[in-house]
Amino acid sequence: MDGTGPLVRLEGIHKYFGDLHVLKGIDLELERGSVLVVIGPSGSGKSTLLRTINLLEEPQEGKVIFDGHEITDIRTDLNKVRTDIGIVFQAYNLFPHKKVVDNITLALRKVLKLGEKDARKRALEQLEHVGMIEKSDVYPSQLSGGQQQRVAIARALAMKPKLMLFDEVTSALDPELVKEVLDAIQLLADEGMTMVVVTHEMGFAREVGTRLLFMDDGKIVEDGNPRDIFTNPRDERTQSFLSHVL
Amino acid sequence: MTRRTEAVAAWYREQTGVSLSAGVAGALAVALVILGPMFLFIANGLTPHDNILETARGDAVTTALWLGIALGAAAIAGGFGTYKLMPTKAARETAISGAALGIQAVLLAALFLFFRAGEKFPLLVRQNFSFDILGDFGREFVTGARNTVVLAAGGEFFGIVLGLVLAMLILSRRPVVRAPARTYINFFRGTPLIWQLSFIYAAIVLTARLPVTVFQVGIFVLGLNAGAYSAEIFRAGIQSIERGQVEAARSLGMSYLQAMRYVILPQAFRRVIPPLTNEFVILIKDTSLIFVLGLTAGQRELFGIGRDAYSETFNATPYLGSVLGYLAITLPMIWVVTRLERKLRSGLTGIVGM
Repeated sequence: MDGTGPLVRLEGIHKYFGDLHVLKGIDLELERGSVLVVIGPSGSGKSTLLRTINLLEEPQEGKVIFDGHEITDIRTDLNKVRTDIGIVFQAYNLFPHKKVVDNITLALRKVLKLGEKDARKRALEQLEHVGMIEKSDVYPSQLSGGQQQRVAIARALAMKPKLMLFDEVTSALDPELVKEVLDAIQLLADEGMTMVVVTHEMGFAREVGTRLLFMDDGKIVEDGNPRDIFTNPRDERTQSFLSHVL
Repeated sequence: MTRRTEAVAAWYREQTGVSLSAGVAGALAVALVILGPMFLFIANGLTPHDNILETARGDAVTTALWLGIALGAAAIAGGFGTYKLMPTKAARETAISGAALGIQAVLLAALFLFFRAGEKFPLLVRQNFSFDILGDFGREFVTGARNTVVLAAGGEFFGIVLGLVLAMLILSRRPVVRAPARTYINFFRGTPLIWQLSFIYAAIVLTARLPVTVFQVGIFVLGLNAGAYSAEIFRAGIQSIERGQVEAARSLGMSYLQAMRYVILPQAFRRVIPPLTNEFVILIKDTSLIFVLGLTAGQRELFGIGRDAYSETFNATPYLGSVLGYLAITLPMIWVVTRLERKLRSGLTGIVGM
């Protein structure tokens, strides 16, 4: 089934943190090439939903089907599946003890088993792509937040994933650094990458998203074309949320 | 306030020199009391011990001590009397420091004079400062220091390897994996090292007639013990690494072990260097306990050398020799730990570039 049908399918996902019911029955299909933007108030479960797709969060109920395979099946080799799903975090999570280029080559060499030369070549290509090539030999702590986040994007892309997940990647950035990161994501969208983007950047959601989810209280409240939802939200909660953030 | 005291106070306020003289007096007093006699002892010769006794009772030492007491008293009075009037913080600190140094000088000098006045003083000097005896055992002390370092380094190396394995086990989310490691750690942290040495030697090595030396048993048991403590240090170090690091590694497809090896442990190792060095310092001192196993002459460490030399001579100076040996090893390490800790705490770059 590889290569056809939806790239991701979630079926009846329930997630609990202790007594807290965070995801309350999520069903979702994600078409290849689409850019799904997820918005909603904090605590609505949007980050948890995103992290469920690569099983950083294991749901207590429901199925996650990626590229035709049910990865919630306990016999799945998750390490292999995860090489196909890139994720970028709010806090960058670069490896502070490794130089920029080594942050990228580490998984290429140890997971994809590329040789040293090939790994480095691929890492430099990706750094070029996000405009960070000249910083390849410095440590992450010497970079600004926006630069670190671009390196994190390059690190995820170097694995040549089929899907990219972005978890509030601009929320920790100073306002003047947000644009450089959004531009990098925009570029990726233009190239046809399938993406799920959890964000607070409403302008970006409208411009880049091909589909928009509004979540509240662990459920998908609204699902549709971004422009339609922004101009004409159906649900009362969506209206209220948008009137507060726009 | 009368006009006169007001005038005096006004004068003081302008005279930061008062604080400076209190500081200088205090520092001089301490120097006189400590460095003065030390210089005289060395100048007049440390051996034989009669030399020390003579110097200690000589006029030069007496003069230095009483001069130190007088200067110290002046510093106390001057420092405490004027520090509140000082116009700058630096001047105030100088005044207080002078007084503090003065107190130390007076106390040290008084203690020395008190001991010197005692009728057993000559005996005390002979029993503790017969440095010629140290010279007689010079070669033994060098061997002892080497053995101490070998025991501690061997035990620490074994302990680090064991501790790392134990740390991995107690971090498991499976209780059946955690339980045995936790039991081991609690047992070795909860029983005295001297018992562990005696028991393993008597109950296992001697009973089974294992072909190992007492020295090797010592390293082994020190390692077993250090392993329990290092495990807790490693556990804390690993847990101190942000959750996002494992998540980033796992999301790139790394297995749990790969994430540990390439991402978590390299960062954790740097953070645990100070506590591990502390643990090593403790281990250096703990090597003294292996005397209970009854070592052969060439296997003895610093404490054993001192103890045996004491039994041989009935003079306590060899114990002084042992302690100088321990301090020569531990003080540099303590210095390094303190610097590392300061660097880790202040480091803008965090753990990078260490």
